[in-house]
Amino acid sequence: MLNVYLFQILNGLGLGMIYFLISVGLTLIFGLLNFVNFAHGAFFLLGSYLCYTTVTLTGNFWLSLLLAPLAVGLLAWLLERSLIRRIYHLPHTFQILVTLGIALIIQEVSIMLWGPVGKSVPTPELLRGIVRLGHFAYPQYRLFLIGFAALVAVALWLLLERTRFGALVRAGSESTETVSLLGTNIFRLFSITFALGVALAGLAGVLSAPLRGANPFLGPEILGVAFVVVVIGGMGSFGGALAAGLMVGVVQSLMASLWPQGSSLMIYAAMAVVILLRPYGLFGRA
Amino acid sequence: MNPKLTTPARGDSRPANAIFRRRPAATTLAMLAVVIALPLVVPSATLACEILIFAMAVLGCNLLLGYTGLLSFGQAIFFGSGAYVAALAMIHWQVGLFTALLLAAAAGGLLALLVGALAIRRTGIYFVMLTLALTQMAYFIAYTLSDWTGGDNGLLDVPRPPVAIGGFTLFDLESPLAFYGLVAVLFVFLYLGARRVIDSAFGSTLLAIRENEARAAAVGYDTRHFKILAFALSGAVTGLAGALYAMLLNFAPLSNIELPMSEQILIMTIIGGTGSLFGSLLGAGTIVILGDLLSALWPRWMLLLGVALIAVVMFMRGGLWGGLESLGRRRAGAARKTQEDA
Repeated sequence: MLNVYLFQILNGLGLGMIYFLISVGLTLIFGLLNFVNFAHGAFFLLGSYLCYTTVTLTGNFWLSLLLAPLAVGLLAWLLERSLIRRIYHLPHTFQILVTLGIALIIQEVSIMLWGPVGKSVPTPELLRGIVRLGHFAYPQYRLFLIGFAALVAVALWLLLERTRFGALVRAGSESTETVSLLGTNIFRLFSITFALGVALAGLAGVLSAPLRGANPFLGPEILGVAFVVVVIGGMGSFGGALAAGLMVGVVQSLMASLWPQGSSLMIYAAMAVVILLRPYGLFGRA
Repeated sequence: MNPKLTTPARGDSRPANAIFRRRPAATTLAMLAVVIALPLVVPSATLACEILIFAMAVLGCNLLLGYTGLLSFGQAIFFGSGAYVAALAMIHWQVGLFTALLLAAAAGGLLALLVGALAIRRTGIYFVMLTLALTQMAYFIAYTLSDWTGGDNGLLDVPRPPVAIGGFTLFDLESPLAFYGLVAVLFVFLYLGARRVIDSAFGSTLLAIRENEARAAAVGYDTRHFKILAFALSGAVTGLAGALYAMLLNFAPLSNIELPMSEQILIMTIIGGTGSLFGSLLGAGTIVILGDLLSALWPRWMLLLGVALIAVVMFMRGGLWGGLESLGRRRAGAARKTQEDA
């Protein structure tokens, strides 16, 4: 009986790490660029589909783990240079509408390219087995997912805390003007951060593909959950995105067998309550 | 801080609805002409009904977005619950047409009162997020109450009762054209009502909130109060539209109360023209007709909506109405110039 809970909690951690990867990009972009990206879920979707195509063509999941996030990030970079940077100065309402348009375009193009029915992606051969610990057995891929995402999280933390780039991003989140005045090309910083944040959503899409496949209508759902995580964790907070992502993942996983709609109801209710009572999130700074 | 969606077009110093406000009679006449011509022009009366029903929902959305500056993703809550309440009342209590419509409007209005009172406690992005979270909650509640709402299958066998007074049937609404008559009368009534609300002191205060909420508050208006009332009006109109939609389809699908419904209503509002009542009719009409024409030929026509949404925000804030208006102004300007030259 206890094993069942352990199994669900581990599943929840895996799901939570995927939520973290999606949300941390959203929160980074919001923190530095003060930009609301409603297309974030669509980029996740694109990551899943590019994984599907790479695996179908080459049979190599690892290649897709490298290529898909890069391709999604490149697309984001191009979009930022051509369209997104023209709307930074506009109110959030306009940013929401433009990115909603982008999400709609990505969704429809995905259906054109890959069809309206979802595609499933096989688990990479290397990780098809299970890990045994006494009586407890757990799929290798899910364990790999937790470990790999944790590595990415550490790398990202190091990038933000220990490098010049990270220092600029953190400083820019405090005051874009000051960073700009001190001689940094703020627009280049914006482009890179936007591409990085979106590439992380693409990476999350790849990692979740062997579990959930690629489905053209997954975008809005993923976007919704990402906003829940970002709001509960506090907009712009790295640690908040991690804690809230894991929390939401574990709650959803534990309730999945009992009452799945109830867990969705709960997380959105939690989001509303957090906005009303603690608008800077449970872990964010006031 | 307040987002303005009706920022004047480039090279034009007047607000997008300034001209429109000077000529309300002309646009009202144009609206009447469209309502009368619609069933003759579009392929079916059912399609004409759909256009006016969505135009009502867009009127409701416009009141918030165009006239008060509030971007609400909550419209699906009001639309969906209006549909459910009217359908359930007709099925279980056998209520008549007008009682069902009134109940739907009341349900939409009350829910909007609640959503508004909660959401306006925050502004900007957090306001939008609250309306989004509440819509998701409403969706999952409707999904869970499947004994009542039919869950994923939707609520089937929604009746379309006749227009009756005291048990005496005046008009039967079974034919799409007869139903169009009812929808058209209600739409004209709501349009004129919205016109009056907007031209009233209340409407001017809403505009003041849209333009600069801090200033409106400083002058002494309780802006919270006005924003909640705008929500309630918007919700009532949207709930009524939802009820009519259920009667039209004889069916209340779960998608009525889903987030994409909110997005669809918002997109119609923006493409038609925020801050213009006639724009509401234009937006709903264009998109419903495009959808009907294109969905059979090219199922991915929604792609165009995405492109149009971006184009409107980037280049044509006034939407279709704003485009028509500036075209009209340019022609008027050219005519005046030739007169002066002559």
